Amino acid sequence: LLWKESWELGKNPMASKGSPLHGPRIKLIEKAQNLFAETKEHTFESKAAEEHAKLLRCQHDLEVSTKQAIFVDSSISDTIRTCIVLGNHRAALKVKNDFKVPEKRWYWLKVFALATIRDWDALEKF
Amino acid sequence: MAQIPNLDNSPLNFSSLREQSQKDLLNILRNIRGNKCLIIDPKLSGSLAMIEPGVELRHLSVEPIQTEYTRVVYIVRSQLNLMKLISSHIKYDISKGLQRDYFVYFVPRRTVVCEKIFEEENVHHMLTIGEFPLYMIPLDEDVVSFELDMAYRVESDTSPLWHIAKSIHKLEFSFGVIPNVRAKGKASTRVADILNRMQVEEPVNSTDMGVPEIKTLILLDREVDMITPMCSQLTYEGLLDEFLHVNNGAVELEASVMGAQQDGKKIKVPLNSSDKLYKETRDLNFEVVVQVLRQKATSMKQDYTEMTTTTQTVSELKDFVKKLNSLPEMTRHINLAQHLSTFTSKASFLGQLDIEHTIVEGQSYDICFEYIEEMIHKQEPILRVLRLLVLFSVTNSGLTKKHFDHLRREILHSYGFEHMLTLCNLEKAGLFKKQDSKSNWLTIKHALKLVVEDDTANPKDISYVFSGYAPLSIRLVQHAVRSGWRSIEEILKLLPGPHSEFKRGGYPSISSSETLHAVPGNIDRASDGPRSLVLVVFIGGVTFAEISALRFLSAQHGMAYDLIVGTTKVVNGHTLLETFMDNVP
Repeated sequence: LLWKESWELGKNPMASKGSPLHGPRIKLIEKAQNLFAETKEHTFESKAAEEHAKLLRCQHDLEVSTKQAIFVDSSISDTIRTCIVLGNHRAALKVKNDFKVPEKRWYWLKVFALATIRDWDALEKF
Repeated sequence: MAQIPNLDNSPLNFSSLREQSQKDLLNILRNIRGNKCLIIDPKLSGSLAMIEPGVELRHLSVEPIQTEYTRVVYIVRSQLNLMKLISSHIKYDISKGLQRDYFVYFVPRRTVVCEKIFEEENVHHMLTIGEFPLYMIPLDEDVVSFELDMAYRVESDTSPLWHIAKSIHKLEFSFGVIPNVRAKGKASTRVADILNRMQVEEPVNSTDMGVPEIKTLILLDREVDMITPMCSQLTYEGLLDEFLHVNNGAVELEASVMGAQQDGKKIKVPLNSSDKLYKETRDLNFEVVVQVLRQKATSMKQDYTEMTTTTQTVSELKDFVKKLNSLPEMTRHINLAQHLSTFTSKASFLGQLDIEHTIVEGQSYDICFEYIEEMIHKQEPILRVLRLLVLFSVTNSGLTKKHFDHLRREILHSYGFEHMLTLCNLEKAGLFKKQDSKSNWLTIKHALKLVVEDDTANPKDISYVFSGYAPLSIRLVQHAVRSGWRSIEEILKLLPGPHSEFKRGGYPSISSSETLHAVPGNIDRASDGPRSLVLVVFIGGVTFAEISALRFLSAQHGMAYDLIVGTTKVVNGHTLLETFMDNVP
């Protein structure tokens, strides 16, 4: 089990640094997730890998729909901020709900993002 | 002004060390006849500059070498990727049909793995391989560095430990066998063991050395005290390092900061004890430094007005001119201090200090937890977050599972999943982890009197370097110097890693953990002559604030020792944590 653990740890960063081809990358991360799931003490790692794969898919979709290649490889928080800055509040909300972002962080992100685009009206309202 | 420190005032003859390294390097270069191109490892260039000012060198890089000379000399650390780089250079030359002689010198010694790579790459037969035994570099009159990068993560690789032991053993060849050894922490006790083995295999003949110059060796593993480097240093030198990164005794900054006209140009400002004013102020709390500078400036102004109004004798004029000589030093430090205060007056810095103290106090768990959580939410620089987290986790001996998972998740969400690896490294090192036992930080803090309110202008205790927190590591040194480990045995057991203490003589004595005790009784208290020396070695790095605290200790009244510092590297919280995230782009 131990060598397996170190092996997938090696895989994980390789995967996240990997090529822009998502297919193989997501698969690799999912593989890591399953390996983590095999042992009891790595439930956290397994869940994180699962979320990572989900995030990459979601970012890919966002890139297709907005036609801007700026989402992949940013963090969840960054993704939400980018969405709000682009005025795509629905997408931001969706990301928030998909990843169960706590309210506190959500508010910080929203305030920062609205301040960046100087949308003072929206900031006022919210 | 000298780029490298003058070592004449050193309590130990460090200049001989430097001369030796210079001679070694010159010998290497002389033995290769004719014109040559010298290529050195960029990681080494700083340290080589410390021993050999003014040598024109080229840095090793990916690009093939362009030179008309037919002899190429490499001076590199024995690291695998560098070997690959050299091989690629040679192969490139072959493909271009160039004929050259190659020389590779390993610092500090050759290793089998590296030569294996040359064999695999099929270039081994074209090389002349040698060693450049550069084990340590005097950084200043009382500090030597072994310049080891990764020495904090010793688990996987014990060669740094060998390197440290070898360096100390080399010191013993010049200055005599160190009779008392005290070690704390896993790596330290191992270094002590290796040191003993070296003494058996290759003994230093103590009879013709006379009295050993170094009385006591104290080995401290960084893992024993990860709290101190996580706190923001508040001495002048410490702050310079935190904000501007002191590198090999110099900081690099925009020329405009120093009052020069050209914009955007970088200049190097040397910082070492050859600069009298710096020597005087480097170890003071920054608040005090500003006052000292102001005082000096006003007194100078006063002298100047006196000068213009009254008639002077020649000797008075001479004094005045002498004072003027210190003017460039004054302007330099006033500029630097002004630049620093733009950082230190920021609200975020003050907030950081505040929370650090709250964590070290160890009383208000919830406040600290929420503060860190909010920092993550605001996506503040990850290194600053991690510093606080490590501080928080170590003082609490870990977080509850719920909080641990929650903060980890928030970090991954805010900074990206690639930090999984960083978190994993930190967990393995025990710096950010799940709580497995009750924290004993309060006991330690109390027993060693780590939180002390003191007057920063007239400090009586080492706690002034952090404005109220006395670095744990230095407290241990303080006890070890005074009375050995015995008096704080109980506390030592609460800190990570084993400890040992033994005496050595002409013959190596049998040593095992916690056996023999040094006799602290016969210290020459009334000595007017040379004071005895204590070498304190930090395995895994030391911060400038800790060095300052040690200097403060040895300057104390009634202290019968001079302290000198050996370290694998001068670090701060940022550089220390960066070694944990080296895989992250």
